[in-house]
Amino acid sequence: MDLKLLKMSDRIETLRNKMLSQKRYMSIEQALITTDIYKKNDNKPVIIKRALALKAALENIEIAVEPEELIVGNRTKGVRFGVVSPESGGSWVDKELETLPTRPQDRFNVRDEDIKIYRETIKPYWHGKSLEDVLAEKFGSEFSAISKVAKINQTDHSQGHICPDCTLWLEKGPDGIKKEAQKMLDKKGMNRKQQDFYQAVVLTMIGAQNFIRRYSVLLKQTAKINGDFNPALEKAANVCSNVAERQPQSFYEAVQSLWFLFVILQMESNASSFSPGRMDRYMYPFYKKDIENNVITNNEALEIIECLWLKFNQIVYMRNEQSAKYFAGFPIGFNIAVGGVDENGKATENELSYLFLRAQEDLGLPQPNLSVRLSKGISENLLEYAVRVVAKGSGMPQFFNDEAVIGTMINDLGIEKQDALDYAIVGCVELTTQGNNLGWSDAAMFNLNKALELAMNHGRCLLTGRQIGPDLGGLDTYTSYEALEHAFAGQIDYFTEKMIKACEKVEQGHIDLLPSPFLSAVIDNCLQKGIDVTAGGAKYNLSGIQMIQAANVADSLAAVWQLIYTEKRINGSDMLKALQNNFVGFEIIKAMAENKVPKYGNDVEWVDNIAVKWAHYFKDKLTHYKNYRGGLYHTGMYTVSAHVPMGENVGASPDGRLAYQPLADGGMSPVYGRDENGPTAVLQSVGRLDNVLTSNGGLLNMKFLPEFFATQEGIKKFAMFLRTFVDLRIPHVQFNVLHREDLLEAKRNPEKYRSLTVRVAGYTAYFTELDGKLQDEIIARTEYGAV
Amino acid sequence: MKNKALIFDIRRFSTHDGIGIRTTVFFKGCPLHCVWCQNPEGIAPQTKLVYFANSCILCGCCTQIKDGAVHIENDKLILDSSRVKNTGDYEYICPSGALRMDSKWYEPDELTEILKRDMPFFKHGGGVTFSGGEPFYQAKFTISILKRLKKIKINTAVESSLFTDSKTIKAALPFIDTLFADFKIYNDTQHKNFTGVSNKIIRENIKMVLQSLYRDNVVIRTPLIPMHTANADNLRKIAKEISEWYPGVRYELLNYNPLAKAKYDHMDYDYCFADNPPLYTKQQMEDFYKIIEDAGIVNVIK
Repeated sequence: MDLKLLKMSDRIETLRNKMLSQKRYMSIEQALITTDIYKKNDNKPVIIKRALALKAALENIEIAVEPEELIVGNRTKGVRFGVVSPESGGSWVDKELETLPTRPQDRFNVRDEDIKIYRETIKPYWHGKSLEDVLAEKFGSEFSAISKVAKINQTDHSQGHICPDCTLWLEKGPDGIKKEAQKMLDKKGMNRKQQDFYQAVVLTMIGAQNFIRRYSVLLKQTAKINGDFNPALEKAANVCSNVAERQPQSFYEAVQSLWFLFVILQMESNASSFSPGRMDRYMYPFYKKDIENNVITNNEALEIIECLWLKFNQIVYMRNEQSAKYFAGFPIGFNIAVGGVDENGKATENELSYLFLRAQEDLGLPQPNLSVRLSKGISENLLEYAVRVVAKGSGMPQFFNDEAVIGTMINDLGIEKQDALDYAIVGCVELTTQGNNLGWSDAAMFNLNKALELAMNHGRCLLTGRQIGPDLGGLDTYTSYEALEHAFAGQIDYFTEKMIKACEKVEQGHIDLLPSPFLSAVIDNCLQKGIDVTAGGAKYNLSGIQMIQAANVADSLAAVWQLIYTEKRINGSDMLKALQNNFVGFEIIKAMAENKVPKYGNDVEWVDNIAVKWAHYFKDKLTHYKNYRGGLYHTGMYTVSAHVPMGENVGASPDGRLAYQPLADGGMSPVYGRDENGPTAVLQSVGRLDNVLTSNGGLLNMKFLPEFFATQEGIKKFAMFLRTFVDLRIPHVQFNVLHREDLLEAKRNPEKYRSLTVRVAGYTAYFTELDGKLQDEIIARTEYGAV
Repeated sequence: MKNKALIFDIRRFSTHDGIGIRTTVFFKGCPLHCVWCQNPEGIAPQTKLVYFANSCILCGCCTQIKDGAVHIENDKLILDSSRVKNTGDYEYICPSGALRMDSKWYEPDELTEILKRDMPFFKHGGGVTFSGGEPFYQAKFTISILKRLKKIKINTAVESSLFTDSKTIKAALPFIDTLFADFKIYNDTQHKNFTGVSNKIIRENIKMVLQSLYRDNVVIRTPLIPMHTANADNLRKIAKEISEWYPGVRYELLNYNPLAKAKYDHMDYDYCFADNPPLYTKQQMEDFYKIIEDAGIVNVIK
């Protein structure tokens, strides 16, 4: 396949422009349907109610198609609408109806009549019944008592962050799955719960078929509108009617069928992230057959793929205001992983790997969340092409490392080798097996820095003075660094215990209120066992806790160790006073903390090892517990955007950071601008974090000037950089190619960009040390990327 | 005296100083004084205490040192470098890093350890580059480190003016994978005017390396400095001469680096341009390439 011969079609351009010009609205359409069904079936088991509600939505929700569309389907008539799911979380919607259009992050327009209907019809029914309300009522005060340290998630929406069994869906289709569930239902010896489960699956599959048929009908009508006949729509209509009744037989049908799977999953759960996973693997047989039989050309395949890519951008996830801060930009997390290794552990790729990258290169949109799985054996071709797409500046693809991920899945999580080799990514960077895992990968976030603050300040919050943890001493009383460490461990223990109890309550809430039969049908072994995925029906049942942020912990403890206990340049009481006063009047201490102590991310072992030590302490603590479904707790090191609100909870810290300021971004990344020894040192530092610490996912963000990618030579060097990344067994990295705006920002706030280096032969200088005019010179160059 | 070297920067992830991903060592001290020098802090062969006013928080910590080199007047810190007794004292006491030494002494073991750190990257192509200043200004040390690096199979490159005696170069050549040697100006009078030294030794040495066994490891470079080196006559003459010495010579033209000017605020001398000229455009570069190709260069590095 010659990539140069590929060309994005006008159709795609038109569809993209149409999509981006549409306004986002909140939608209560499905909420009304769900409420109506629940009211009418009040005495039925929850799982049946859930199934009936989904079926009714599939059969009644308004649908639309665009005349240019080849791939159709959405969960609302409009694109990018924010869907309300009152059964999981309705109270926050009520509180935020007025502010949704104006809130700082992820805004949605709201129609006045929707506010009225919501408050008069929907809200009263769900009050006290939704997951959100039930948890708030029973455990609200327990959750909020620990919230500064441990933020409990999954409290107002259904389960997402899941890779369904796409292969099964493509093999059987909704009709095949329906028949299978029916067969189980007809078997003798099923208990009541199992019968309800299978009944629910059958209902949702009938709904799914009807939903797809409705699109076929609408497409046929649209094909003949205005006397013109649109053969593409006629074809799309046939594709839909085919995949409603049987398994797909062409690439086109497979893509359309797959998209319906994801639309319906979102309609059932309205959750963040259902991921297609390794699409270049399971879609390949369809593609290959069509290419070999001259059914499609590569340009036609690309067009279908790009239609799907646009679709991935048409479903957004509406979170509450607080949550939108933690996960800004309504990330919906349709994560696709290309490349990787095959069932024998050998590097694998095919034409689709390239076509998917090409679609990203053409469109540059936030979805899908495209990833490349790297292994030692990855071809130079695929690697360099991926780098070229990165250079376009969308931040994608991101890179995962098979050498880091597969081993820890097998050794530390007990995952079978074949499943581990076939891992994929959900959400942002969370690792999962495909089609058989309820990973619950975002159970909670644990703010290690807040725990450290409490250890330094007698269990009292530096921001409010409130006693929120036990008084185990303070910097003014510890006579050794070890005494501080002991107290830090004590605070972690105290909050971990409480966090686990809270997580268990959330899981019980999901079992009671949000069983998900459609999702369960595409997760092994739910269908075999007759157990819903929320109740532990999946083959793997993990829970992931994120630790926030090892970089700041390392920098803070390094400063304390060096300045207070080793060099003795500052005494503990003075440091504590400095922290309590947010360094006002203690500028010398702040300056020393910032400038006199090495920082995490600079390949300085003793500092990096502090990060490793405390990440391990936390991780090891979690191994004492099992989750509600009988699975393991494990840890991740990533934050999406949570380093900002998490930082707002933390007072001044001994690394010189002021109160309320953001923590390090990413999860494994050094604190902004503190990585002064450059990208190779960053990789060496991050490489010290054992893979077991990030079995739930790790996130490393790196920033580069666009000049770096301007030449073939630069691309090659970048590929070398990534090969070393693979050798160092770092689980993840993503690259931000700095744009003009970033550099202007660097000019204004040099402290955050201190590590930005200008690279010229035999020349050494940091961007922020150049004078304004010269910075402008660099900024001017980035506009056309020519250096 | 112990074998030590004064180094003003060690920059990892250098990507413009040879093949692959490299660590570049900037040796302090240079016998030339080019008026366009892009690392002017590398010229003087001594350490110097430098004051960075924008990092200073005017805390007065440094005034505790009683050599009288520093005083604060009207919210301004005034440093009289000539009175500094022990630069290290200032660097230690200054909490903000505003007072910093511009360079540091390294022993071979310590430097080798640092250079080995990026071995995992060098494995995929890449290595160590010696730059400066002038690496051969501290030749004994440079050669001993080159030998060590070759022993552990690290790719080496040296960026040099070749203004040194030919024995030194001959001793170093077997341990250099790529030698980047500058030929800046053909006309000797101008060379003296703009770099402070005659190009006689430099030309002899270039000829010597281009006719040695190691000639394929050599890249000749001319930095394109407007009104100084970047004119057709100069480039043509250099190109002609070096291709006569070795027809297969690799020749690279380095585009002007307008960023060099940034550093002169901290220097005692002036930069050659008050108004900073821009980079040469792609088209202008093409024109330069044409000149040297017409003059006989076969292997232009672009």
